[in-house]
Amino acid sequence: MGIVDYVLIGLIVGGAFYLLYRSLWKKKGYCHGCDSSGKCK
Amino acid sequence: MTMRNSVRPLPAPEPAPLRIAVAGNPNSGKSTLINSLAGTRLHVGNWPGVTVEKREASFERRGERIALVDLPGTYSLSPYSQEEVVARDYLVEERPDVIIDVVDATNLERNLYLTVQLLELEIPVVIALNIHDEAERMGYRIDVTAMEQALGVRIVPTVATKGAGLEALLDAATAAAGDPSRHRPRRLHYGGDIEAAAEALMAEVLRGHPDLAGRYPGRWLAFKLLEGDRRVIDEAGLQGIEPLVARAAEHLISAHGEDVESLMADARYARATGLTREVLTKPDVRKIELTEKIDRIALNRFLGIPLFLAAMWLVFKLTFDVSAPFADWLSTVTAGPFTRWTRVLVGLVRGPDWLISLVTDGVIAGVGSVLVFVPVIFAMMFFITFLEGSGYMARAAFVMDRAMHSMGLHGKSFIPMILGFGCNVPAIYATRTLENPRDKALTALLIPLMSCGARLPVYILFVAAFFPSRSGTVLWSLYVLGIVLAVLMGILFKRTLFRGESPMFIMELPPYRMPSGKSLAIHTWEKGKHFLIKAGTYILAVSVLVWFLLNLPWGVEQKKDSYMGTVGQAIAPVFKPLGFGTWEAASSLVAGVIAKEIVVGTMGEIYVPGKVEAPAGPTPSLSEDLREIGTSFAGAGKNAFTNVFSTAGIKSLQAEEDEGTTGLRSVVSKTFTPLSAYAFMAFVLLYMPCIVAAAAFKHEFGTWKWFGVAFIYQTILAWSVALLIYQGGTILGIGG
Repeated sequence: MGIVDYVLIGLIVGGAFYLLYRSLWKKKGYCHGCDSSGKCK
Repeated sequence: MTMRNSVRPLPAPEPAPLRIAVAGNPNSGKSTLINSLAGTRLHVGNWPGVTVEKREASFERRGERIALVDLPGTYSLSPYSQEEVVARDYLVEERPDVIIDVVDATNLERNLYLTVQLLELEIPVVIALNIHDEAERMGYRIDVTAMEQALGVRIVPTVATKGAGLEALLDAATAAAGDPSRHRPRRLHYGGDIEAAAEALMAEVLRGHPDLAGRYPGRWLAFKLLEGDRRVIDEAGLQGIEPLVARAAEHLISAHGEDVESLMADARYARATGLTREVLTKPDVRKIELTEKIDRIALNRFLGIPLFLAAMWLVFKLTFDVSAPFADWLSTVTAGPFTRWTRVLVGLVRGPDWLISLVTDGVIAGVGSVLVFVPVIFAMMFFITFLEGSGYMARAAFVMDRAMHSMGLHGKSFIPMILGFGCNVPAIYATRTLENPRDKALTALLIPLMSCGARLPVYILFVAAFFPSRSGTVLWSLYVLGIVLAVLMGILFKRTLFRGESPMFIMELPPYRMPSGKSLAIHTWEKGKHFLIKAGTYILAVSVLVWFLLNLPWGVEQKKDSYMGTVGQAIAPVFKPLGFGTWEAASSLVAGVIAKEIVVGTMGEIYVPGKVEAPAGPTPSLSEDLREIGTSFAGAGKNAFTNVFSTAGIKSLQAEEDEGTTGLRSVVSKTFTPLSAYAFMAFVLLYMPCIVAAAAFKHEFGTWKWFGVAFIYQTILAWSVALLIYQGGTILGIGG
């Protein structure tokens, strides 16, 4: 494993956490009863 | 350099859009009308209470921007429910350019009660006389011209589901907004006493608060003050005005012997009833409508619940029969050609071995395991949408309402609970339709027991592995288990945490309608696409993280020695008495806390073989693979078709099991027994709500308290029920 691998892993894991935060918290799970922007006001 | 050189002409400001508020009774077709007008896809259901918040849809028409605001359905503008408050606040504070009042032509009198109140606001109104075709079929004749003259507004007959009359409606609305002075609604007279009291009161109020003249329609404000509307008094800054109002109302009360609020309601009803008598002609001989005929059976005291259970059974049976062949097809394609060619592609870009494994054993195995159930979810959502659109779901709520009320529970609670069959999250938000905070919290606590679509992949995996010949019945039993436990927990909560009486709830039963193909397609897609988005977002993210947890510490030989395996092994003993005390099952359940589909996704990653052995013989070429994919898809279609007829009893065929059970299913069938599989499914049904539902609890109640209660009671309930199933079954010698 070289430095490139570590950087790539960091990016992938960071991206996965960001995706989790964005979709679960900010977009509230994209539930179908919410409006087009995924927000249940 | 001069200033002239540096100044650029500013672009002309964009004209403000024409703001049209769409108001009406629940289930009068407002959302359908907006969807037809603006091409949007607001959630529509043939049952009341679909729109809780106001929502906006914008579009352009003949160069003019139009913003349609879909207000929640209300019967009046009194501030007694959340819907009424939302609708009234918007109309009074935002003052749209025009109101489209959607009036259900088959229910004229009740709808006109709201119309009468809308006219008080002195905003131009255009009436969409909706569901006009059904009224005609029922033999109703409505004199539109006479009605227009009586109300002083334009009335356009419409059929929103077919788009009929909508162009004329928009023409009338834009004309009314363009010249409001010519389209001011007629002032309906409520009788000398009321009018005199209102006039006198308004004169007094304006003397002390001249600024109110521009903020509120004067006559409406006077009515609200006379009714003692606390909200209006506070918002208008009229605290302390009560003695003045009492003086103005004194004569009214002494002359009529009733409080002003009842007097006002009577006056408005009198106008609505009088107008209906004038303009509506019903056929002399009353036919027994189809709706009434069906309701005699569907709402029967003894047959109602069995029929509801039978309808649910049919839905699950059809769902499984139609979708299982496509799920199998997707599973074969994902595990075979798709994985193979992805491996080739990542190899071509010289990706390291770990990246190839992450993509194939992590992303494809994880997300793919969930995606194969997309046909099942879409089939299920199609049938639920059909039941909603047909009007049967409202009957189901009514039947359950009666049963729940007899046990001291609030019947209205069942509407959000039925929504929970699709997804628990919007169902928790829908509890805001309940006025009583106690009922709201109680309903939200019970909603997670309603089996949402996210649990479906888990059920289908285990049902296909262990109960293929009784798929519909086993699926049905899980949903019924959820409902029965919700009722039992409701009774328990009502006697402990939520003591007190629930108010009566009057439920509207819409007529049965055949949902249009377009509406079915749109709403099935709207419900189902949610799962596709989930697969592409947080299920993907969790699959990636699970792969890392299964491969850390780096280079770990056995998955059970990984971080995930270690945690799984530590928790597994808790599940041993339930029949699934393996680290694999424990880890999947922990990951499933994020979303229940992830239970299957994680199993897909855990059970995927570390190194895939190349199949014997030459690797098929891409074109061979594509041909095989096409052929197997046609085969799946044929199987689904045959299964439907099997369901209808024309030909009795079992679900196909001859193509070799797909990877995950075959592993699961070796590591579980039918009994432990059923206990596992029950546990997945009942254990804690997913993270998004937890967030919904926090957003809706502003505290984590109720989520905490749900978490604790559901975890205990899930463990106890699974224990009862497994240990009880073992003692009785069933399915061990």
